[in-house]
Amino acid sequence: MSAPPVERTDVEVESRDRAKPRRRLDPGRAQRLGLLVVIAVLVISFGSASSAFYDQQLTIFPLLRDISILCVVGLAQLAVMSIGHMNLAVGRMAALSAMVMGLAYQELHLPLYAGLVLGLLVGAAIGALTGWIISATGVNSFVVTLAMDFVLLGLVSLVYAQFTTSAAFTVKPAGMDELRKYSLADVCLGPVCGSPAVPQLFLFTVVAMLAVGWLYSRTRVGRELLLVGSNIKAAQLSGIPTGRRVIGAHALSGTLAGLAGFMLAVTAGSFTATIGSEFMIPSFLGPVLGGTLLTGGAVSVIGTLLGTTLTQVIRQGLTLLGVGLESLNIYLGAILLLALSTGRIRTVLSERKARTSR
Amino acid sequence: MSRSSVKSLKRAAATGVVLLAAVACSTKGASDTAAAPSAAKPLSAVKIALVPGGSHPYFQPWKTAATKARSDFGLGAVTFNETAEWDQAKQNSVLTSLAAQGYTAFGVFGVSPTDINSTFSDLKAKGYAVGSLGSCPAGTTDNADFCLSTDVEQAAYTAAKAAIKAMGGHGALVHLTGNNADSNTQRRIAGVKKAIDETGGKVTLLTTVTDIDKDLQTAQKAVSDLLTAHGSKINGIVTTAYNPAVAAAAGVKAANLPIKVVAIDDDPKILSGIKDGSVAATVTQNPVGQAYVGSWALGQLQSKACTVRTPGISIDSGSFVVTSENVDTYDVARQAKTTQLIADFKANVLSCS
Repeated sequence: MSAPPVERTDVEVESRDRAKPRRRLDPGRAQRLGLLVVIAVLVISFGSASSAFYDQQLTIFPLLRDISILCVVGLAQLAVMSIGHMNLAVGRMAALSAMVMGLAYQELHLPLYAGLVLGLLVGAAIGALTGWIISATGVNSFVVTLAMDFVLLGLVSLVYAQFTTSAAFTVKPAGMDELRKYSLADVCLGPVCGSPAVPQLFLFTVVAMLAVGWLYSRTRVGRELLLVGSNIKAAQLSGIPTGRRVIGAHALSGTLAGLAGFMLAVTAGSFTATIGSEFMIPSFLGPVLGGTLLTGGAVSVIGTLLGTTLTQVIRQGLTLLGVGLESLNIYLGAILLLALSTGRIRTVLSERKARTSR
Repeated sequence: MSRSSVKSLKRAAATGVVLLAAVACSTKGASDTAAAPSAAKPLSAVKIALVPGGSHPYFQPWKTAATKARSDFGLGAVTFNETAEWDQAKQNSVLTSLAAQGYTAFGVFGVSPTDINSTFSDLKAKGYAVGSLGSCPAGTTDNADFCLSTDVEQAAYTAAKAAIKAMGGHGALVHLTGNNADSNTQRRIAGVKKAIDETGGKVTLLTTVTDIDKDLQTAQKAVSDLLTAHGSKINGIVTTAYNPAVAAAAGVKAANLPIKVVAIDDDPKILSGIKDGSVAATVTQNPVGQAYVGSWALGQLQSKACTVRTPGISIDSGSFVVTSENVDTYDVARQAKTTQLIADFKANVLSCS
């Protein structure tokens, strides 16, 4: 039996690197480094074009708030991408979780974090159900999550129509407004506080990133998920319960989608039926730009943050420069293409260099 | 702990340090800085941004109205930014970007009526003048200085009454409208229902078709499906969104059915439909008045020449029933309403020194 393709995580990349006498940058890492360089260049360029780009209150705070939300959305997609699946219902799962949270606040008068936990549980449950359908029927995740998207669209609209007149739960539990407005400047250690440019919501993203990063780089389950993604047959033959792993990955995706839904609702101000309707494309952009493979088996948590940051920096920068709607998306596409190419250009250059030095 | 995990931890720590270094720390109370009350400024120092929820034909008159308001009132600048793409998060980002560019007064058509109050209070807290233009926040409170918009429930009610009248006071009516998850749509549905209820059962609501204002193709397909399935049973169609209005006018004309269509807004296709009789009536709104009067009022507020008597007050910018009788002259009434709005603002809405 031939060995299964090796799954690539940040940790393994390093151990392989160490074994080589002449260290060559891994393509995944090169891609992330490329992203970081592009982001840095863009930040400097936008900043020199308009100093308002460095405005803590008006530019950086809202920018980081958007990045925080979309990074979690990216992680939700990353969870299923790790097993080679996709979740087209990521936005609607966010809507469902947010709806349950809103319902809990309005009807059960739950405190902010109790409602959050309830919503996350519902997100996990709907994700697990989706995963179970996929593993039980063997139908492609694309089809199942697309169907789930339609089911949830109907369900969410029905519930909002039943319980509200304005398609939104506008009840604000204690602490919700503060969470939206507060930055790390409101978190103090003695007289020294954090930066007013970093929203407190960013902490949710950090926690999510640490948890997902830990799962994939430190745990057996995480490695099994990646093996399921790179070669499900090999995973089965190795005794990995692939069905359970598929359910687990989708449950994680649902939970993270729910968290993103909560963060968006807090940012916007109410729990509406439209939450998550703009999540699908960013959910793929962040991870794919950051080096997570659509075919499964390789994930990058830091890459997801970088990928999301890149798209948001471009958007914010172009908006600040007053680029019109028609040109904005063209520039966005062009810069993203350039960013995606940097990793490839780097690989081609290093391969050429290696050939000539041989 | 393995060497690889140590290395990973180091890297995570390094990332954390970079993040921290990227943003300076602050001292206690730094973020509590409320906007200081600024001194009076001339109108030429006020920069106004008009920000619709996204690109839509309804807002196109805002562009010319903004330019006219700038020259008529001597404002510093008036810009029009339609890059919000019907996403509240994007609209918030557009607004803060404009603020960073030096715009200090905002006329906003909020994407999400239930969320826009949070955006308004954020802008107000920074000392900017804010007008809710074209759409008021859902609920009873409005955190903007004022709301100048069509009363959507009233406009839907007026449109439904016009349709019922055209139908001869009895029969089956269909309502075509936009995004069901938008509270304004719920208000439009309520307006149509109110008009139907007043007929005491003589007019019935056959169906309400929602979510078909995304683009013209979606609306055309929905109208085509509707006419195929129920064409003979329908006596009237009332539309309270732009694309369904254009699609219904064209669809009914093409199918040659005796259905009375009441449209919304004054797209050239709808106006020509009124002239040739395929559209019974249309209810037009006053986008020019919203942008023109809104810019003027925002200029007055941000220059500190005036204050709002009742913050969050709602003013109807007017809706006008257009039939074959007044299709050539309705714009005169609309211009008169705009002139009257400025007088109303001076007399009742603003308090000027």
